[in-house]
Amino acid sequence: MRQRLPLVLLLLTACGAKAGSGGPTIYVALDQEFSQPVLDRFAAELQIDLVQRHDSEAAKTVGLVSMLMEERSNPRCSVFWNNELANTVRLAQAGLLAPYDSPSAADVPAAYRDPQHRWTGFAARARVLVVNTELLPDRSTWPGSYADLVDPKWQGRCGVARPTTGTTLTHFTALRQVLGEDAYGRLLDGLVANEVHLLASNGATVNAVREGKLAWAFTDTDDYHVAQLKGFPVACVFPDQQEGGIGTMLIPNSVAIIKDGPDQANARRLVDRILARETEALLAAADSAQIPLRTGITGPADPGIRAVGTFRQMVWDVDWTAANLARCAAEWDRRFGK
Amino acid sequence: MSRLARIASPSRLPLLAALAFLAAFVLLPLGGLAAATVFGPDGFTLEAWRALAEDQNALTQLSASLQLGLAATTVSLLLGGLHAWVTIGRDLPGGAWLGPLGIAPLVVPPIFVAMGFADLASVSGFWPCALLLGVAHAPFVAVLAARGLRSVDGRAYEAAWLLRGRPRAERWLLRAIAPELLAGCLLAFLFTLADHGVPEFLTVKGKTWHTYAEGLFSRWSRRAVGTTFAELQSPITAALPFVAGLGCLLWAALRLRAAAPDRGVVRPLPLRPLGAWRWPALLAPAVYLAAGIGLPVFVLVRWVLGSAQRLEPMSLHYAQQSFHKAMDQGLPDLLHSLWLALGVAVFVVLLALPLARASARRWPVLDLLCALPAAIPAILLGIALVRSFHDEALLRRLGGDFYAGWGFALCGYAARFLPFAALTLSAQVRRQSIAAEEAGALVRRSPVTRALRLHLPPLLPATWTAGVLVFVLALRELDLAVVLPAANATAVRRLANAVHFQHEDWSGVIALLLLSLAVLLPLLPSLLAGRRLASLS
Repeated sequence: MRQRLPLVLLLLTACGAKAGSGGPTIYVALDQEFSQPVLDRFAAELQIDLVQRHDSEAAKTVGLVSMLMEERSNPRCSVFWNNELANTVRLAQAGLLAPYDSPSAADVPAAYRDPQHRWTGFAARARVLVVNTELLPDRSTWPGSYADLVDPKWQGRCGVARPTTGTTLTHFTALRQVLGEDAYGRLLDGLVANEVHLLASNGATVNAVREGKLAWAFTDTDDYHVAQLKGFPVACVFPDQQEGGIGTMLIPNSVAIIKDGPDQANARRLVDRILARETEALLAAADSAQIPLRTGITGPADPGIRAVGTFRQMVWDVDWTAANLARCAAEWDRRFGK
Repeated sequence: MSRLARIASPSRLPLLAALAFLAAFVLLPLGGLAAATVFGPDGFTLEAWRALAEDQNALTQLSASLQLGLAATTVSLLLGGLHAWVTIGRDLPGGAWLGPLGIAPLVVPPIFVAMGFADLASVSGFWPCALLLGVAHAPFVAVLAARGLRSVDGRAYEAAWLLRGRPRAERWLLRAIAPELLAGCLLAFLFTLADHGVPEFLTVKGKTWHTYAEGLFSRWSRRAVGTTFAELQSPITAALPFVAGLGCLLWAALRLRAAAPDRGVVRPLPLRPLGAWRWPALLAPAVYLAAGIGLPVFVLVRWVLGSAQRLEPMSLHYAQQSFHKAMDQGLPDLLHSLWLALGVAVFVVLLALPLARASARRWPVLDLLCALPAAIPAILLGIALVRSFHDEALLRRLGGDFYAGWGFALCGYAARFLPFAALTLSAQVRRQSIAAEEAGALVRRSPVTRALRLHLPPLLPATWTAGVLVFVLALRELDLAVVLPAANATAVRRLANAVHFQHEDWSGVIALLLLSLAVLLPLLPSLLAGRRLASLS
């Protein structure tokens, strides 16, 4: 029996043998349809054998973040490309990221770079209101603020994804800090009183709006843009642009190198390539219509999606947000998870 | 011969290998997770369990799940039970075809059913969710009720009819199939409780209701960003009692099904005339099949034709474009799914055969152990497997990377679906005559010869059925595909994302191809060997 054990183990490892296991591995939370062609191209240019692992929408970003947490004693990931920022910062706070000051990130605005160089932001999405233009043909009647969620005028006619994961959790956690505890509490109470539809995801909220089940909803620019491309009667509003308003939240993609991950040298080359200006241009031109953070890069062709500098941005503390994600998700459960 | 040598004799090797697999891929990973809930950074602690006890939502969510389970099971009973009742042994027009088709909706993942309904009507809230889950799980009731009706002795029914009249004979028949009917209901109830995708898909407005499975996922999301020991352990502490409850339910359901009286050589039920109800009764299978498979397929076909966009009208030209996009985007994932599902089906059957014999003939408790993985939320089993194998030093020293390869995905899926094959086969072994096996043991033949010539042949139909079931379930598995690295490249995971990102056109093609693959394998025996489709149930 003892003689057979190595044979069994050898068979098991043979099952695991696969081509290209020597190169870096990237975990990607951005939609596979957009990220895979870009990464395939980068891998060919850099002549590296890149293993890609993509997130599932069912897990809404937390899938890969959880995997990185689980694998921390023996990291399998070299580079993490997150489609938002707060969870990356959370990984940095947990000590899972290695510092790397990429030369490609030199012109990224300081607000989107970690002072300790553990992560860098690029190509953002905005948290916007998507409006059904058949239900609301008159532009002057469109909502224009997060506060419209709790306006009785829209009772039962608007929606937002449940803020338990993804960009909506980041958004609501940041709102807690921006608005203050009292105003945030009133907002949550108002969601119930105003019968706001709390849907499974940003995609689901856009689906509800494009099909006329809701008049409008909070979502991300990429979800709005795909509906618009498919010819649905939708428009996009950058909220809270009025004087004294809190502004529209911009959530960038983020890229980071995992501490002790495989093939660190090629991981750095890959990060340099991802942070190149050309990547932001590619993502702006793609169906996801991401907004470049740097000036001088052509933005999305959709006139509804505004360039950085042409709208009031919400100022939010990413470190506070990352540190409080769990608390806000738990608070959400206490109020709504019954 | 020493005791150790006897245990490790060649005849026992398949059983030992299967037990080792069960230990390595189910018991140890779950045991490791359970132990981690009481051993924090500072040693033994009950902090995580205290946090669960203080979680006021847990009980509310459990109650919501139980209510949903009861409502959905009632729908399953009405749809599935009625389908079997009017198609088996009746003079229903087309009954010979409609009866075996009772198993067909099983190939449709519940989320497809939900997507189908949601595309055509506004569905949200408790009752639509119960209806959809009831529809999705009705095949369990339909298949088991049909099995019960086929195994009732027609002579007994005729005797009851002659002595006590037809209404009482019908009531006797209902009582005769009660164990199978109850087992089907328990399975539908169990799968409803464990389902996370459909309630989440139909998430509703405001402070209404959330299920326990949703609560588990919510805790799981907090685990990714959590900081305290209780936060990190909360999905596991919440899941473990749930798993224990579901495990007991599953075991009860399968025992009920297996314990349904073996009626020996039976004469089929006589054809029971439906009389004036002959044509109206067609409504039952029509509704059952339309809701379970017709509507989802209809919606998928509409997506392929271009219903989910407004730029041009639906057309065959658009369908062509959808097909090209699907080939470009999803073909590799579809092929990965196919090979993985085939590999899992073969592997699971090889593991299940020795386990089934051992549980049927020697250790009935093995049934419970084998049932365990089906009662675990797949995401939890995935975490347990990742924790146990991502840093396995022994495998690493041998070179290669078992964790990142297809072998790990295959083993993970096999662990998940082993119960379905092991319990199906153990029920079949129990029906085999033990006298024949004892007589065989007296003949001087090697254990391998005895297994091949005596034990295996009577199990072949059940083995095929178990393999097909595992194949279909592996094709539609989503949660493990999210967690296990290699399974990341499967069609269902890609599909779940594509629909979210409004790529209904080409994801409709992938979904239809996936359904076709799931249907093709069960149909093979009928196409190649003329085996009756009804034999699958």
